[in-house]
Amino acid sequence: MKKKALSAMLAAAMAATSVLGSVAVVNAEEEVTLKLFSNLPDRKNGQGLVEQMIIDEYMAENPNVKIEVEALDEEAYKTKFKAYAMDGMPDVVSIWGQPAFLDEVLEAGVLAELNEADYADYAFVEGSLEGFKKDDKLYGLPRNTDIAVIYYNQKMFEDNGWEIPATYDDLLTLAGTIRESDIIPMAMDGGDGWPMAVYLSDLVNKINGSTKDLFAEAIANGDFTADPFKQATDLMRQSVEAGLFQDGYDSQDYGTAMNLFTNGQAAMFYMGSWEASMALNEDIPEEIRTNIRVFTMPVVDGGQGGANDIAAWNGGGYAVSATSEVQEEAVKFLNYMYQPDKLSKYGWENGVGLSAQDQTAYMTGEETELQKQIVEIATGATSLSGTPVNDCGPSAFKTCIESEIQNVTNGTSTVDDFLATIGKACQ
Amino acid sequence: MKKLYSNKLVITSLVLPGLLVFVFAILAPICLSVYYGFTDYSGMGKATFIGIENYRALMQDKTFWKSLWHSVLLAIGFICIQHPLAMIVAAVLDKLQGKAEGFFRCVYFIPNVISVAVIAYLWKFIYNPDFGLLNNVLKAFGYTGKINWFDSKIAIWSVLIVLIWHGFGWGMLIYYTGIKNIDPVLYEAAAIDGANQKQIFLKVTLPQMKSVIQVNVTMAIISALKQMETVYLLTNGGPGDSTQFTANYLYQQAFKAFKYGYGNAISVVFIIICILITVLLNTIFADRDKR
Repeated sequence: MKKKALSAMLAAAMAATSVLGSVAVVNAEEEVTLKLFSNLPDRKNGQGLVEQMIIDEYMAENPNVKIEVEALDEEAYKTKFKAYAMDGMPDVVSIWGQPAFLDEVLEAGVLAELNEADYADYAFVEGSLEGFKKDDKLYGLPRNTDIAVIYYNQKMFEDNGWEIPATYDDLLTLAGTIRESDIIPMAMDGGDGWPMAVYLSDLVNKINGSTKDLFAEAIANGDFTADPFKQATDLMRQSVEAGLFQDGYDSQDYGTAMNLFTNGQAAMFYMGSWEASMALNEDIPEEIRTNIRVFTMPVVDGGQGGANDIAAWNGGGYAVSATSEVQEEAVKFLNYMYQPDKLSKYGWENGVGLSAQDQTAYMTGEETELQKQIVEIATGATSLSGTPVNDCGPSAFKTCIESEIQNVTNGTSTVDDFLATIGKACQ
Repeated sequence: MKKLYSNKLVITSLVLPGLLVFVFAILAPICLSVYYGFTDYSGMGKATFIGIENYRALMQDKTFWKSLWHSVLLAIGFICIQHPLAMIVAAVLDKLQGKAEGFFRCVYFIPNVISVAVIAYLWKFIYNPDFGLLNNVLKAFGYTGKINWFDSKIAIWSVLIVLIWHGFGWGMLIYYTGIKNIDPVLYEAAAIDGANQKQIFLKVTLPQMKSVIQVNVTMAIISALKQMETVYLLTNGGPGDSTQFTANYLYQQAFKAFKYGYGNAISVVFIIICILITVLLNTIFADRDKR
């Protein structure tokens, strides 16, 4: 009887163990759904493609993980981000390591803190994590090193005998020459406001030689009357008067401006290095895409900034939600994305500009001429400007400057009024 | 049946759903708006009570008053341009009869069934100074210059044209329905009395359409005041604030500038203005009815 009881107990224990064991196996492969909220709606080109490639790889390597992507363009993204912030954030989100975006977000405590030590071997470029920190704590990781550049159609330049301008005055003279050929000198996305604010920052950098302290001081004091701001704004106004930008630039959006350049109606296009993937985009006619080259903002006569003092910053990146129910998996995915042979490598191979991580290991020599030029610009830079002025202050300041810059460049308001108004928006 | 309707439980079950929808979908958000209007809430984090500071700032906010003026301008455009035209077209359609009547009725209503996003992008292309339809038409007539239709001096008129054009179909359809409901005997009597088409329109059609006009005018003013999506997609209020409208400005302040409290203060003032205008319209129409 005793033996029978013992056997029964052992059998029960065995059964219990095997049941628990199988539960453990089920748990190990428990389905996890990660929600990724992205600002890259184009999943077939550029950065959106790179992001999607990594997602697909991660899901293939982790069959129990399903990643649901919600992608909106930047303006819509930022609006919905705020709505999510009030009512539960998706697990992994796109963010911008700039005060205009990040200050309020971190204040609300919606992003999870990351362990900086985990990224010691991720080859992040020196200083690139700074914009994503608050009180020395890391809340996000940068994706790109963005450089403001002037894309130009090399063939069009050569065919017409136009030279790359060495100074800003040369650029304005060139604008007049190009206009005579019934071509738009430079396509500008003025409808969105921010590219013009970047342009202004680029000019301030050429005039002042640096921007970080100047911007920080102006925003802290709500005072933009310093001479570099006046001079740069004056130059922008002169540029419009010289016909540098397309007619109606102040109401035309990103896509329209880019199309003017990519279909050969404009000779130049002012945008960030993230558009370097234009050289690989087969939707753009071959004659144009293979002839896209870049130069940086020409020096301003009498300015302290040299040709190699460039407007560059670490802008977009990713973070994990503080309220994510699958935070561990979300961080795991984030770390996977940033493994040096993922975001950085794929980004390079797909020509989406410079990563915030060291990419030299992935250079094959078969890159597009455009990529090589951008690398040359980055490696040859003597200084980087840091965050553009519109992203250095609070959101109210950003909204104000991006609207007011349209008024001052099209002559609706004066330079002094513009500088006074944006100063007031900081207070 | 009578017994059923005197049962308090039945009454409650019939009234409660509507009441709950009213309380949670209308009353509660309005009360929350009023509350947030007195705070510096950014939309995230904590809200701090700041009294009437938002309202004080609003009174001095030039863009707010400009956007309100644009909304009023649109309402005037609706009443003085869109509606007289819609009424005339409706009267002409009524006279057309047959297949032509149905065809033109559909044609005039097409803009209303197209998505606002499509309408906005369509007009963006029409207005484009470099490759837009308008400038190309002018070019075909020998005009060599390029008109920037969104120049800050004229942009508001370009936007008003789109908005008036876009809403035309609705106005026309309501007037058309109104005209169709007029007793044909009145027209026959007028014809026997020797009235011409103009007299018939002024003495028969118009007076018979009074209640339809009242509804249409009220709807037009409300739609002008809350105009948002077309403007957002067409110009987003720019260049600068040259085409800014109140609802779009409210959205920008609340969701782009992270000034949620200020945005709510705008919405409260906006609601008050809407109520005042509605009361004013009701009073005007009520006075006319008495006369």
